[in-house]
Amino acid sequence: MSKRLLISLVTLLMLMFSSGVFAADAEADFQKANQLFQDKEYADAIGLYQNILDEGVESAPLYFNLGNAYFKDGDLGRAILYYLKARRLDPSDNDIAANLEFARQFTSIQMEGVKLNPISTFFESVVGPYRLNALAWLSSLLFILFFILLSLRYGFGFRTGILRVGTIIILTLLVVSSWMTSFKYRHDYLTQRAVIVAEECPVYSGPYEQSDIELEAAPGLEVEILTESGEYYNVLFENKRRGWIKKDLIAAI
Amino acid sequence: MKVKVFFIFITLSLLMSPVWAQDEIDISVALDRDTIGLDEQAVLEVVLSGTDQNLPAPQMPTLPMFEIYSQGRSSNISIVNGQISSSISYRYMLLPSKSGVYPIENIAVVYKNKRYKGNPVELTVLDRGVAASPLLEDSAVDTEGKSRDYFLQAVVDKKNPYVGEQVTLTLKFYIAVRYYGQPELKEPSTTGFWTEVLGNSTPYFQKLNNRQYKVIERKYALFPTQTGELTIGQAIITTAVASKSRSRRDPFGTDLNDFFGRGEEVTIRSNQLTLDVKQLPTAGRPADFTGTIGKFGIVATPDKTSVEVNQPVTVTIKINGTGNIKSVAEPIIPELPDFRIYKASSNEKTAILGEEMGGTKIYEEVFIPRKPGHLEIPSLGFNFFDPKSSRYRTLKTKPITVNVKQAEGYAVSPDVPYSQSGVIIGKDAADIRFIKKDIGALTPKGRLVILTPLYLAVNGLFVVVFAGLVVWRLRREKLSGDIGYARSRQASKMAYKRLARARSLARLEKVSDFYAEISLALQAYIADKLNISPHGLTSDRVTELLKDKAADEALIRDTVNLLRQCDFARFAPASLTQADIDRALEEARQIMVKMEGVRFV
Repeated sequence: MSKRLLISLVTLLMLMFSSGVFAADAEADFQKANQLFQDKEYADAIGLYQNILDEGVESAPLYFNLGNAYFKDGDLGRAILYYLKARRLDPSDNDIAANLEFARQFTSIQMEGVKLNPISTFFESVVGPYRLNALAWLSSLLFILFFILLSLRYGFGFRTGILRVGTIIILTLLVVSSWMTSFKYRHDYLTQRAVIVAEECPVYSGPYEQSDIELEAAPGLEVEILTESGEYYNVLFENKRRGWIKKDLIAAI
Repeated sequence: MKVKVFFIFITLSLLMSPVWAQDEIDISVALDRDTIGLDEQAVLEVVLSGTDQNLPAPQMPTLPMFEIYSQGRSSNISIVNGQISSSISYRYMLLPSKSGVYPIENIAVVYKNKRYKGNPVELTVLDRGVAASPLLEDSAVDTEGKSRDYFLQAVVDKKNPYVGEQVTLTLKFYIAVRYYGQPELKEPSTTGFWTEVLGNSTPYFQKLNNRQYKVIERKYALFPTQTGELTIGQAIITTAVASKSRSRRDPFGTDLNDFFGRGEEVTIRSNQLTLDVKQLPTAGRPADFTGTIGKFGIVATPDKTSVEVNQPVTVTIKINGTGNIKSVAEPIIPELPDFRIYKASSNEKTAILGEEMGGTKIYEEVFIPRKPGHLEIPSLGFNFFDPKSSRYRTLKTKPITVNVKQAEGYAVSPDVPYSQSGVIIGKDAADIRFIKKDIGALTPKGRLVILTPLYLAVNGLFVVVFAGLVVWRLRREKLSGDIGYARSRQASKMAYKRLARARSLARLEKVSDFYAEISLALQAYIADKLNISPHGLTSDRVTELLKDKAADEALIRDTVNLLRQCDFARFAPASLTQADIDRALEEARQIMVKMEGVRFV
């Protein structure tokens, strides 16, 4: 391997883990913010947690703690927003799931009595507990295994029954895991979701001030952003109701 | 030469003559009558004439003392001695609003950047015929004492209503002569009212001054929106009636105009009405009066009366009755410490009940109990002003008792800022779980593994490695001259090629060649698969080799039989038929298929 290739590879790896440079600062701020939280100085804790985020880094515990601080500070909308951000990074964490569920009990409007599409609900529950990155690496591993098996067969000329069956099994797993990865990616990142953060949030029938108010939404409700027009987003509620909300009343996850 | 110039002159003048003629435009203004009564109307006719067929419309001056309605236009083109002349006449109806003498001038038309002014005319409006709310019998008689053929009457059920109270306006069109087509109505102006049309009634007949009139009624519900004097404007009906004048009657006693159903176009105007709108009385007005006027009832019904803490109870509040349903205000719900209350929805339906506007308004309110026990949603107050009895009235719904059961769970910690302490809400916990001590792995915001170069590089690497291996192997095969492997891989391909060639030879005259090809196909296949020479592959050797590779007994027998048949056929071709050839080909094909299943390697 040439020297130049080696240098560029090392540079690439360094770039990948360059966040470590900030880590020391962030760690100190994080502990300070945690102390403020324990002293019930929630607003100050929020400020400090936000500072870390402003550095351009994120982690599930950071979002979780920020969500907790917002919850205790009385901002239910943002609490749920940050719990959701935390859960997206670490869907298997019990604490995040518990606090999200706990906070949702306080939203003043419950979207109940809704039959969601059972197929997509099933798929969501299948991919739900896994991190996107974990799924991605699993797919990658299967992909590599698949190619190793192909190499054994076509590159080295091994032709045994076990190899053939193994290849088919790995290929099947690869298809399933790739599909799960892409479903999760679309569900978590390509679909724009948002949480209502404003205390009062009128939902209009059209993207104008003069439009009729369809309903009053409450902080903490989750919506899917469909389109936008001027100052308004067209949103879809969990119970499939649609409406237009002013952009500054909601925050994207 | 002179003659030529003369012709040119003639031609030019002929060409130009219409241009000169085009500049001629004439405008004349005329009234059908120069004196009318206040309740009558005059028709103003403006005639434009010229040689151009595209004459512009005249510009009318503003005539503030009249209401002006266009009656349409008619055009006429005539050709006299090769001269085209065109005239367009515009008709306007003038309805006076005040008596006096009014000059009508400055009617003009702009044509080819030139302004042509019409002749001035004068219209005198007499103030006779203005009677203040005449009796119906009087209405049927005109100012000269003659019985009227038709008239339009506007009446209201009350002249002195409260603001917001319904006033029913009835337009009655009386007509005693024949009319043609559908009378055209221009609705009265109702500024200061919220207006709803109640509809037309079926026509009926009424006798006035010994004359039978057909009466067509149209009703409106008017809700005054302001106090003081309000005017309901004139309604105007335009219709064609049987001609009144008998002078044009022909000797056969029929009126041709009537016969052809044209009649005379008339415009009939109703009387203006003035209402004095009263303010609502201050005496007895409830402090929380919201301005609802009419007569209403109120009912509140819960969707369930037994729930768990924090489960919603939807209460439907239905208000219905007569009056302007749109003005019905939401019932006042007091602050209730035991419930969280949310507005869910409201909708209204208007309805016409006889001559009165009314309808239903439904509010849905969601009550979420905060604690267990027998909780009461108190009676909800709703007040309105009843104009019929001139009194304010307050209605109350029946109180609703909700049986709230204790939900299973934990009392919420007093540290949670959203609910009162002690209220049970937490299904599994009393408070949120505590913050995390460890910040975890920090990653750049929004970074996704699948979008990083590393991920793509790692996966791409193995594709490249695989491709490299395949290429390497193919080269190695070639270089090391691994003929055995290559022959084995090519065996079936070659065999099928030979079979195809055999098929093309499957005729009696080529029988030797055909069997030679079949024999070669089978022998070469086995030889290639085993990397041995096809020469000297006797039937015994074939049997031996196939047995060695654990081939099926039947397959071996068939193969040996076919090979023997081939040998025989080559030396005694004469005894064979086309059927034998076809059968041999089919057998060879089947053997090849079965042979593919034998594991030679």
